[in-house]
Amino acid sequence: MAAGFVDFEITWQADVFSDAPQQSSAADFGTVGINFRARKPVDDAEWNTALEALACEISDQPKVE
Amino acid sequence: MSNRTSKDIELDMEELRTAIQEEYKEVAINPQQGFHFHTGRPLTRILGYHNVWLEGIPETSIESFAGTGNPFSIDAIRQGEQVVDVGCGAGIDSLIAAKMVGPTGKVIGVDMTPAMLAKAMSSAAEAQLSNVEFHEGYAESMPVPSGWADVVISNGVLNLMPDKAATLKEMARVLKPDGRLQIGDILVQKAVPTSAKQKIDLWTG
Repeated sequence: MAAGFVDFEITWQADVFSDAPQQSSAADFGTVGINFRARKPVDDAEWNTALEALACEISDQPKVE
Repeated sequence: MSNRTSKDIELDMEELRTAIQEEYKEVAINPQQGFHFHTGRPLTRILGYHNVWLEGIPETSIESFAGTGNPFSIDAIRQGEQVVDVGCGAGIDSLIAAKMVGPTGKVIGVDMTPAMLAKAMSSAAEAQLSNVEFHEGYAESMPVPSGWADVVISNGVLNLMPDKAATLKEMARVLKPDGRLQIGDILVQKAVPTSAKQKIDLWTG
């Protein structure tokens, strides 16, 4: 959302690096290929609504004893 | 050497760009040599590209394909739409998109590697696709008008950008309101330490 998109969704993921001709660092980090989608808001109103939906309350801090 | 660095990690941007260009120049001119990632027709099968999509796409584009996902499986690209392919490489996805949007649509492919662009342009001519054009440029500052695109596609490119937020903002800039991102990329499932992020060879290998 920080870049200006809404409706982000990862739609697919899979190992796309196994058995590549040369050894890769991909496996060291559990790297997978993904597809994702997102959408530019229709207007500022939709963007502001999406931003507001992200707002969260911070619970009261526990007392330190 | 440029002293410009990514704001999040100490990394020389020009050195990184040069390393990426050199890697993908090899993918363009020596596609058979074998890389740390799959390429070409075997990769299209791994990623679920339909054979019908590849019909009429010149082999010079297919052989240098180095994507990590499948933008076309996310949502349909429709007749008449305008599409930007960010980091188009040798053009396979741009040419597939050009066939999908048809003569009333338009595709712009952007890439920073001249050897890849040369293959893309050659393929477009061979395939007789006049609704696609290719431009040299960076994903963070594309030679595309604001609000031009119905869809932005990209495949295996965003992971190479040190400043992903800046690249995504640029994608947002070129999209029309309500425009779609359809992206293939990678995800790591283990945290990458800062020390690793500062190693250029880990970005390309």
